[in-house]
Amino acid sequence: MFRKFRTARRRIISGGVLVLLMGSLFSSPVLAQRKTAHTRRKPATTAPAKARAINVEELKALLKRDRNRPLLVNWWATWCNPCREEFPELVKIDGDYRAKGLDFIAISLDDLADLKTAVPQFIREMKATMPIYLLNVQDPDPVINYVDGKWGGDLPATFLYNNNGEVVYKHFGRINTPELRAAIEKLLGNKQ
Amino acid sequence: MRKIAVISLILSLLAIALVANARTFDTEVPAPPMIGATIGNFTLPDTSGASHSLDSLKGKNGTVLIFIAVQCPVSNAYNERMEKLAQDYKAKGINVIGINSNLSETAADVRDHAASHNLTFTILKDEGNKIADTLGAGRTPEAYFLDAKSTLLYHGRIDNSRDITQVNSSELRDALDAALAGKPVPKSTASAFGCSIKRA
Repeated sequence: MFRKFRTARRRIISGGVLVLLMGSLFSSPVLAQRKTAHTRRKPATTAPAKARAINVEELKALLKRDRNRPLLVNWWATWCNPCREEFPELVKIDGDYRAKGLDFIAISLDDLADLKTAVPQFIREMKATMPIYLLNVQDPDPVINYVDGKWGGDLPATFLYNNNGEVVYKHFGRINTPELRAAIEKLLGNKQ
Repeated sequence: MRKIAVISLILSLLAIALVANARTFDTEVPAPPMIGATIGNFTLPDTSGASHSLDSLKGKNGTVLIFIAVQCPVSNAYNERMEKLAQDYKAKGINVIGINSNLSETAADVRDHAASHNLTFTILKDEGNKIADTLGAGRTPEAYFLDAKSTLLYHGRIDNSRDITQVNSSELRDALDAALAGKPVPKSTASAFGCSIKRA
């Protein structure tokens, strides 16, 4: 009788562990990314943001110090796969923090010819609402050095500036969402 | 026996779940060596698995190392320019070597890509991005020019634009020409936008 009870208990525990593991597997980012990829193909239903071409001086004005609001800047391009992958997370971050005091701009490094084709199409697909600019420069070297002397120009790149225009967080490559959110929370004074 | 099988199954599923949840983020790119630093010899396999050292591949007047990619549109925009560079400077004693450090691209991918794009220079596969870390390479394409003694003379972009019709400065060629003429390199670093290297 007692042996039967022990066997049944073992089966219940093993089954429970299996259910938890399978749950973890199916809620994994790998599958979540597939869902994102599927979502990306859906047509946009909300009014999209528009992209505008800017030159170096206009970029410097956007990044100027003493803004009195924190600023998140994402450098991206439609040809950059990790940029495309991380963009839905950035759109969500914009939605979550803009009302809490965070400004967010995205700067595209696509060709000027893409301003009316690939870029707006991507913005529509992403349902992006943050201001989006396309940097139109002949020589990217001075711009890259102006933004960060240690940045080589690899995309995507994300910078978080405080009210004084100082970089308080930066990440080269695909964003680490929890890390970025923690940096934003800290900057906005909501320590997690 | 059955108990062992159940434990094995649980451990296997745990391993799968952990791998599935392990999201890969690009890690910090180490700082590149300073201009004027000596680049130490290293050995990497080519796309067929045969090992090559830097010393065995370098030209008598120097070596150009270019981090390249299979899928990066910027790197691909430079395929013809890189091949032309290799052809133009081979006779002048400077060898071009491609290096693929992308975690997401296999040696077979690199071999097929080279064949389909007529890239004839040697391409090495940098598993675990060890050489990308040593050289502080963060993007593709990214070039390093070493002289005959493996002294780093130039690091950065090939030229100013991925669109060949917009090119109006060719810093890498300028560096090679200056070194061959026994003159100082006019500009030893220059950046450009490119695809981040997918690191392990």
